[in-house]
Amino acid sequence: MDYSRPELADRLAAEYVAGTLRGPARQRFETLLPAHPQLRHAVRAWQDRLMPLTLAMEPQQPSPAVWKRIEQRIGPAPAPQAAAPTGSWRQLAFWRGLAGLASTAAIVLAVVLAVPQPAQPPIIVVLGPAAPPADGGVSTASFVASISPDGRSMVTRPVANVRLESNRSLELWAVPKARAGQPAEAPRSLGVVSADGATVVQRGKVLDDVDALALSLEPGGGSPTGKPTGPILYVGKLPAAPKR
Amino acid sequence: MSTPEREWTERSRALSQLLARSGLGDRAAFATLYERTSSHLLAVVLRINRDRAQAEDVLQEVYVNVWRAAQSFDAAQSQPLTWLTSIARNRAIDSLRRSQTQPQLRSNVSANDPDEEETDVYDSVADDAPGPLDLLSRATDARALHGCMEGLSAAQRQSVALAFFDGLSHGEVAEQMRQPLGTVKSWVRRALLSLKNCLEAAAQRDAVAGKG
Repeated sequence: MDYSRPELADRLAAEYVAGTLRGPARQRFETLLPAHPQLRHAVRAWQDRLMPLTLAMEPQQPSPAVWKRIEQRIGPAPAPQAAAPTGSWRQLAFWRGLAGLASTAAIVLAVVLAVPQPAQPPIIVVLGPAAPPADGGVSTASFVASISPDGRSMVTRPVANVRLESNRSLELWAVPKARAGQPAEAPRSLGVVSADGATVVQRGKVLDDVDALALSLEPGGGSPTGKPTGPILYVGKLPAAPKR
Repeated sequence: MSTPEREWTERSRALSQLLARSGLGDRAAFATLYERTSSHLLAVVLRINRDRAQAEDVLQEVYVNVWRAAQSFDAAQSQPLTWLTSIARNRAIDSLRRSQTQPQLRSNVSANDPDEEETDVYDSVADDAPGPLDLLSRATDARALHGCMEGLSAAQRQSVALAFFDGLSHGEVAEQMRQPLGTVKSWVRRALLSLKNCLEAAAQRDAVAGKG
């Protein structure tokens, strides 16, 4: 089917949002969404049209156990210094400005969260394709990671459009520095990052003894083994940053 | 500008901020977001999956998903409550697929009385419920939508309401309404098309009125 046909895209989106598109057809539609802006646009328009209908429903209070289970699933609350909203918002704006200046490609970068000494610029790592282009051309940057100077938080953002199948994820890895006379250490997972938007990575001191960052293609939700299982798509070496 | 409209805008802005802060890992903001929206999302899910335990499991999945995806929320493109409700509906519909082997107790229309085919499901669920979201239902968008729902034929309205609110498939709607599948499919399709045209016309009228 030609999903770029506006009437068809609109009809499918209507049935998807109304809920009558079911079973394999619904799954197929969801798989198509990431790659079809026209479908996504139609879906959003139908959501805007129909969702206000639900506002007439009588609210149903969930049992307290639900929130407890959610809290367990999303992990422990962050350290207190990471949770000062006003401070981090001001710093967000500050870092945006700095990162914008530092970037020649006019990429908007955001480095967030409590940074003890905001006078230091973020560390910027550019990740390019792991394999050289087949036609021998110049490889272009694909992801940019900007890291707060204390190495506590990092924001990744795709530069070029990265298309992923819906059942695949991109996982970020910290590749440890090789030490003389010792076997190479395995990469440490920094979690799954978004292929079409910014992702904030917070893993404490993520960058101690790290040589490079790498992004691998993994099954949806990330590597099941804790080690990269799919191909490494993008790599970027950390600059030899002056340590405080 | 009337109070409900301002209220809608303010609530939307507040929820957008909570989502943005959740996306930055702010747990307190996320807890507030949950407090303000979970009872609405549970109502939406329960309507589709009537099993309370399953519905609460779905709700849990929804918020874990929201926590992880909050960064991808784009306030310029979507209303926060629309975004959240869509996630909840999709999860609820998926949960039906998974528990298809179990009997579903969803019939609330003409279950006992075959003469009740004219019962208007939309009317029965549209009763205003007092609660924090009550004001929202009187916001402009919702008002236009309700007006447009009124413009549908009773059969169209009922078929769309059964599908949308209760998460029934075309086949299940046909069974409920005791009508051929093809008839129901065309009711739903025409109802959605009329709603779209009616809402677009209403938006244009609003735009003209806003300028004049």
